[in-house]
Amino acid sequence: MRWSVRRQLPAGKQPSALLVPSLGKGEGFLEAGGLRSRPGAKMANPVPSACCVVLAAVVVVYAQRHSQQESHIQYERVGADVTMKCGSMDWDAAVTWMANGTDIDASHLNGSYLILKNVNLTQSGQYSCYEGSSWHLKYQTHLRVGTPPKEPLLMCRSNNYPKGFYCSWHLPTPTYIPNSFNISVIHGTREMVCEKDVFPKNRCHIRYLQLFSTVKYKVTLTVTNALGKNSTTATFDEFAIVKPDPPESVVAKPVPNNPRRLEVSWQNPSSWPDPESFPLKFFLRYRPLILDQWQHVELSDGTSHTITDAYAGKEYIIQVAAKDNDIGTWSDWSVAVHATPWTEEPKHLTTEAQVTETTSASTSSFMPPPTTKICDKGAVVGSGAVAVCWTAGLVLAAYGVLFI
Amino acid sequence: MAAADNTSAALRRRDLCSRGIRLAGKMRSDVIDLLDTYVERQGLDASASVASVEGVPAAAVERWDEQTGTQRLLENLAAYRAFRALLAQMLEEQQEQLGEADAALGRALAAVLLQVSAFTYHLEELLRLESRGPPSEEGAEPPPAAHLSLFERKLRGLGVLRELAQWAVRSTRDLRQLAKPSPGSSSAASLAESP
Repeated sequence: MRWSVRRQLPAGKQPSALLVPSLGKGEGFLEAGGLRSRPGAKMANPVPSACCVVLAAVVVVYAQRHSQQESHIQYERVGADVTMKCGSMDWDAAVTWMANGTDIDASHLNGSYLILKNVNLTQSGQYSCYEGSSWHLKYQTHLRVGTPPKEPLLMCRSNNYPKGFYCSWHLPTPTYIPNSFNISVIHGTREMVCEKDVFPKNRCHIRYLQLFSTVKYKVTLTVTNALGKNSTTATFDEFAIVKPDPPESVVAKPVPNNPRRLEVSWQNPSSWPDPESFPLKFFLRYRPLILDQWQHVELSDGTSHTITDAYAGKEYIIQVAAKDNDIGTWSDWSVAVHATPWTEEPKHLTTEAQVTETTSASTSSFMPPPTTKICDKGAVVGSGAVAVCWTAGLVLAAYGVLFI
Repeated sequence: MAAADNTSAALRRRDLCSRGIRLAGKMRSDVIDLLDTYVERQGLDASASVASVEGVPAAAVERWDEQTGTQRLLENLAAYRAFRALLAQMLEEQQEQLGEADAALGRALAAVLLQVSAFTYHLEELLRLESRGPPSEEGAEPPPAAHLSLFERKLRGLGVLRELAQWAVRSTRDLRQLAKPSPGSSSAASLAESP
């Protein structure tokens, strides 16, 4: 009988190869799960070989189950000292530890125990322990180094009053390990349901069951991970958290023949459900790009406004914000739009230029229409008659000078 | 003739609603200022929570959007009649307690009481337009406060003003709903049927 040892470098959770004595006269050896023989060897007796195959299969299953039982996730705090035992192995057993497939230096071992001092985030990974001689996998764990959660940041807001409000949260610093969040909403004696949003995941929304209540809402968020937990509470009135989204589709355009005017229009935010019953008021700010100081206008109704004091020819930046007419706070500023008031194109005295007045309907900077020369192709209709008159006049004047 | 009457009533209703909305807005603004003054002069904590007090109409309502126009008017009227009586009681207590030492608080209370009275009249007029007429004022008197300690009366006053501020917002919303034109119906019917 011949023994042969094959050492496999473990990959993931694969069990190591097992040593099984081969039966029969050949020099073959058995690997877990199969029979392999060297070329030229004589054939073994089939009945004992079949028994060996079955036996090998049973051993493999046992080894797999055994290795799986020892594999788990272990969470440790950054800076902690971690001691890993090699399963049920004695302290003085000969073992080999590996981290993510790489041998760990014996200096980290105390007997068969693995000692990791002052662990840091880079030491997260899979740790495996193998019995020295047989290379049996005796223990495996996934070490996750992280931190307990700090106090989460919680924000609640109603951008769709009077339908409801939402709360969103995040951690000020990452924990590097999985966290779970639990939120509770209390209104008086009633606990309300906060329905988790599919996206983003750190948000949930609540439907108002009552309106115009003086009773405050109390929202408590608890974050938990394997290393600890933390929580925060927000208490607020129904009106205090009302903050619409910014106005949408802001458009600014010049007013023809008015060098100091800009016409601005916008729409209610689409998230505001009933602007007729819950009207918004608006705040418009504008300034020329060359200046830092904003001009402000508050508008109690309507979704348009004409700026009448713009500097002629200067490009302006314009933004709008919204607020419920009666309660809450102002929205963030809308996306900025740019516009330049209408300017009259100067007439050329030496050419028969005919300026075509065009009104730009875009939100980009107002572009003066191009001037065209009288003799160019595509000249504006009507310029030919003027050219004839000028030419005729010059000719007549020349004749007059000659014959006088 | 009937159509002209309906148009006239609709215009009258819209006018009353518009003026009522402006009055409610001014009232709320003054009540909020009064709250600051009251908390300071009475030595209270502005964030103190006040449990619901008997006789103080709570503005909180469920299914507000499903209410009919008549419901809105009747609930508003009952509330402001109660506030009128409560504010009169507060004014009397304040004068007994502080007298001329705090005339400013007394004047502010009186001004709000006047606005509440005016708003009550507006609501009664709107109900008359509905051809319902306002209900009688039986039972509008506030419960006696003689059994309450001084501190309890102060807290009750805080509760009254807070609820009044909420009611001013609710009334604004209610009047906007009432002012909405109903398609193809008379003014009286639309007031009765409008949500």
